[in-house]
Amino acid sequence: MAAVTTARSDALPALLTASEVAKSFGTVVALRSADLAVRPGEIHALLGANGAGKSTLVKILAGVIPADAGTIHLNGARIHPRRPADATAAGVATVFQDPALIPDLTIDRNLRLIAVDPGRIRSWLDRLGLGDLDFDAMVRDVPLPILRLLDLARALAHDPHLLVLDEITAALPADLAERVFEVMAEQRDRGRSVLFITHRLAEVLRVCDRATILRDGRHVATLTPGEGGEARLVEAMLGEVAAAVTEPPTTRERPPEAPVALEARALTSRDYLKGVSFEVRAGEILGLVALEGQGQDRLFDVLAGDRPFDGGELVVGGRPLRPRSPFDAIRSGVVLVPADRLHALLPQRSVRENLASTLYNRIGRWFSLVRDEDERVSGVIERLTIDTRAQRQARRLSGGNQQKVAVGRWLAAGFRTLLCFDPTRGIDIHTKDQIYALLRELAADGAAILYYTSELAEVPVVCDRVLVMYDGRIVHEQPAAAAEERVLLGAAHGLEAAS
Amino acid sequence: MTAVAVPSGQAAIRWRRWLVRHGWTVGVWVLLVGLIAWYSTLIPRFGNFTMASIAKNSLPTAYLAIAQAVVVIAGGLDLGVGGMMVLANATSALLMEGEGFGMTLLIAAAVIGGAALANGIVGWVIVTSRVPDIVVTLATLFIFSGIGLMVLPSPGGGTSGGFRRIFTGSSSGVGTNYWPSLVALAVPLALVAAWLARSRRGLSLYAAGSHPIAAYLSGVDTRRAKITAYAISGALAALAGLAVTAITANGDARFNNAANGTLNSVAAVVLGGIALTGGVGSVIGAVAAGVILFVLNPILTALGINPNTSQVIQGLVIVGVMAMAGLLELRRRRTE
Amino acid sequence: MTTDTVPTAVALEEGPPVRSAWMRFVSDRPLVVLSIVLVVLVLVTGAIEPNYLSLRGLRNTLLLAAPLGVMAAGQTLLMLTRGIDLSVAMVATAAAYVTGNRSPSGAAIAIVLGLVVGALAGAANGVGVGIFRVNPLIMTLAMAGILLGLFTQWAQTILQGSTSVAPFIRTLGGGSFFDNRIPWNVLVWAGVAFVVIWGLRATGLGRMLYAVGDNPVAARLAGVRSWQVLLVAYTISGLFAAVGGILLAGQAGAVDLRLAQNFLLPSVAAAVIGGTSIFGGVGTYSGTIFGALILSVLNSMLTFLDAGQAVKQVVYGSIVLVLAWFYAAVTRAE
Repeated sequence: MAAVTTARSDALPALLTASEVAKSFGTVVALRSADLAVRPGEIHALLGANGAGKSTLVKILAGVIPADAGTIHLNGARIHPRRPADATAAGVATVFQDPALIPDLTIDRNLRLIAVDPGRIRSWLDRLGLGDLDFDAMVRDVPLPILRLLDLARALAHDPHLLVLDEITAALPADLAERVFEVMAEQRDRGRSVLFITHRLAEVLRVCDRATILRDGRHVATLTPGEGGEARLVEAMLGEVAAAVTEPPTTRERPPEAPVALEARALTSRDYLKGVSFEVRAGEILGLVALEGQGQDRLFDVLAGDRPFDGGELVVGGRPLRPRSPFDAIRSGVVLVPADRLHALLPQRSVRENLASTLYNRIGRWFSLVRDEDERVSGVIERLTIDTRAQRQARRLSGGNQQKVAVGRWLAAGFRTLLCFDPTRGIDIHTKDQIYALLRELAADGAAILYYTSELAEVPVVCDRVLVMYDGRIVHEQPAAAAEERVLLGAAHGLEAAS
Repeated sequence: MTAVAVPSGQAAIRWRRWLVRHGWTVGVWVLLVGLIAWYSTLIPRFGNFTMASIAKNSLPTAYLAIAQAVVVIAGGLDLGVGGMMVLANATSALLMEGEGFGMTLLIAAAVIGGAALANGIVGWVIVTSRVPDIVVTLATLFIFSGIGLMVLPSPGGGTSGGFRRIFTGSSSGVGTNYWPSLVALAVPLALVAAWLARSRRGLSLYAAGSHPIAAYLSGVDTRRAKITAYAISGALAALAGLAVTAITANGDARFNNAANGTLNSVAAVVLGGIALTGGVGSVIGAVAAGVILFVLNPILTALGINPNTSQVIQGLVIVGVMAMAGLLELRRRRTE
Repeated sequence: MTTDTVPTAVALEEGPPVRSAWMRFVSDRPLVVLSIVLVVLVLVTGAIEPNYLSLRGLRNTLLLAAPLGVMAAGQTLLMLTRGIDLSVAMVATAAAYVTGNRSPSGAAIAIVLGLVVGALAGAANGVGVGIFRVNPLIMTLAMAGILLGLFTQWAQTILQGSTSVAPFIRTLGGGSFFDNRIPWNVLVWAGVAFVVIWGLRATGLGRMLYAVGDNPVAARLAGVRSWQVLLVAYTISGLFAAVGGILLAGQAGAVDLRLAQNFLLPSVAAAVIGGTSIFGGVGTYSGTIFGALILSVLNSMLTFLDAGQAVKQVVYGSIVLVLAWFYAAVTRAE
């Protein structure tokens, strides 16, 4: 990253400067040392991979959570926003990742909820093309894109010096995104600034004047997007994700005659799945990549029996399966490591109890403990090298160790097909390596693994084959070893596969 | 986008939406009116005297229903309302005995103010300690009713005729004029309902109960909203206690009165269409449900059914309504 | 009391962690603290009334603690699952009433019928909470109302007649052995305590009670069908309430519909004092045992001080409040 110029030496006086901002949640470090300088009259992008700390930094700027360390200056004066209301009063208005609207109130009442003249919000809505909005509609019935624009109008009505937009375009169709860009440009022309968080690099190249890039909770670069284009941005964001993996991935061979462990045939579920078909064989790690919100969450929920599917067929071990609860899927050997570690953890119970928690889901085992529980649990702890110093309560473990417990509880109970949803998100590189190695071991022992990842670089390292999901369908399939990130990314954006 | 852009003036659509939104409340009121009409055919001499009796005797439950509704809308639960009612009843009956009308009014105002302050402190304890609402208010149910029992160890006390007239329409507490009781209910109900639906502070209660995180992010002070809700609840529970004093000219701090008061308030809120998860419903429906819970007793008596059966029916109705809501929610969550 | 919320890692206002050594000690070794409190209370009570520090004085405390401890056992199990049983007192009364009424047919039949009543009421609660997802608070409050209505009526109809309990039950609930020093009901309590402590520690059901309460989502994804766990838990709680009610009836010698009414808050209080969280997932029955003992000693003390029911209500309520706050502060400090 030596070639990259940093923002700190810039001559122009900054509107907002954040220096060495740090934040941890328990044992999880979200921000190590983030720096950010936004000039007056610019659109500034804040970029980084998942878990890089963008949203944490936004929350600190917006007064939602206090920083552990570091300083924030606005217009030269130090600010300490302790509540969102403090931040808006100081001149920083934020549109958060999720709508900050009350689902059980009408739009009109939502507008009256905040300390701004509702008339001003309405005039902004007019300018966003929502003048004919039905203000008597209940927010829970209003489509997401409209909610995002409502959030935007509310933020604009505060007339902020700095407008912070956290992934506002993720839920917007192109025409509405266009209106947002127009408003952003207007703000800039009035000498106001915008901090723009997005995953879409094309947007950054188009509308942003400068970009700050975070990685692993640190500031890595501040660039001008036009110079060098997408490639430099990607390079700065990715860093050396999987560089430490020792074993080259291509050495693995899978016997082609291995039986199909799980097969989905044209699965549909509401608007989320529009006919998903694939198969995963015993001994195979099948990768799945997709942008946020392409139905991958729903696919995993359906496969794990946590939600029903409306159409299509699910075949597990050669027999059709229509699970009514996760128990049915588990009984057929299909188990889930969920996206959110907190969905797999008993935070106040011991590590050993967590690992044994999958053993007692049937009434037949309620009257005593499984005889070899101790051996099984000890075996898992050893195999995963779980740090047991803080084992009295699982919530005291580090994120990596919590993730090991989330995987390990299925090792104790046994399974045939493992569904892993982004298991390495936000954990340290050493633990990532251990999890890669473990999954490959499990596959070598005959397990079938479906592996969703938000880090494209993991695909050739972990997987045998990879699928790309877009808009509720599988749109691309190829061997993982040859998978280029460029190709996968293209397919994930719904472009025709380039190769 | 067309789904949200309803051209104004389409009366049919607006009417249907109003009905969907307020259908439960309307239904509860229709049920109440129907029950009273039915009752009038069941007893031989239904007249102003009976109406006045229903109107005044349902006041305490109706006030408690509003008290509970405000807290539940803000995402809490106040099991202490019955205790506060008993405490206000005991204190006011003790202090008001032998006093003139002016003095009793002063005492009433002091009791309401004190109750609002005390329950506001309860709300502060809840948001500060982050102990669940139910644990804190279960404790205050016992504390308040215990203090009531200390103030007035055995039933007694009294009040002025003028004070009785405010709630019952007659200085003897028995009469045929039901209008004062209706006004005594309508005024606080209208004030609370309008405040909740119109003012920014009132809306913040709904916000805090519906989605506290979104409310916090949009700058609503959710702590203050909850404390306010508890203070209002305390004031209305005290009003219920004052109504008891006016109706009976007596104070009675036995624990059963407190427990029944709390039970009825929770039942009224649930039947009145307010979600226990917070943020949904209106105090107007809860009041009607509270009155229904009271009216059921004389109806069942008139039908020759043992009054104890009405308690059983009440319980079954509450559980039935909640079970239906629970099943619907489960279905929604699994298929959505 | 919401049943399906997941603990969030990112609280909205997260302060810096406060780690004081003694808070850590309290949270790791709660029983040590509770036993110190108990001993101090016993000594203070002895200072007020020197006769208390004799086997006779302690016997009276145990006599009261046993039914409370048994009822609090059910309360503890339910609080571990994020539930609560506000019908314990009424279920206990109902069971005792049936036992008293059937006493002429013999103690054994009477007791069995009483236990059946308790188990049925508990199972009904379990169906409501576990299958129909009724809020536990509403379900059990309504159950208390239903039972009160039914039994007030039945007391004048089908359950007319005997209100005094059989001699065996009287001995079990109020008698004592070993030269009149140790009450029999303590033996029953010990039996319940053994089953509960062992069950929570060394059975799959115990593990699942904790799991369902600690994180319902994680439990569901582990294949646990929570309605089964809840149904069993509420049934057991009803059963324990019945045992407690029958012991009380034996102590009183006769039954009436106000028999157990003063035991509702103490049963919740015993569990809260013992460190069981109403948010579920944390707590032990050994803690609850100390809670029941502490409340009983306190009751003796208040009785020596001539305090009536009013003062007791205020004191119990305040203790629950202060201790719940204290535990919340200790938990958050970590």
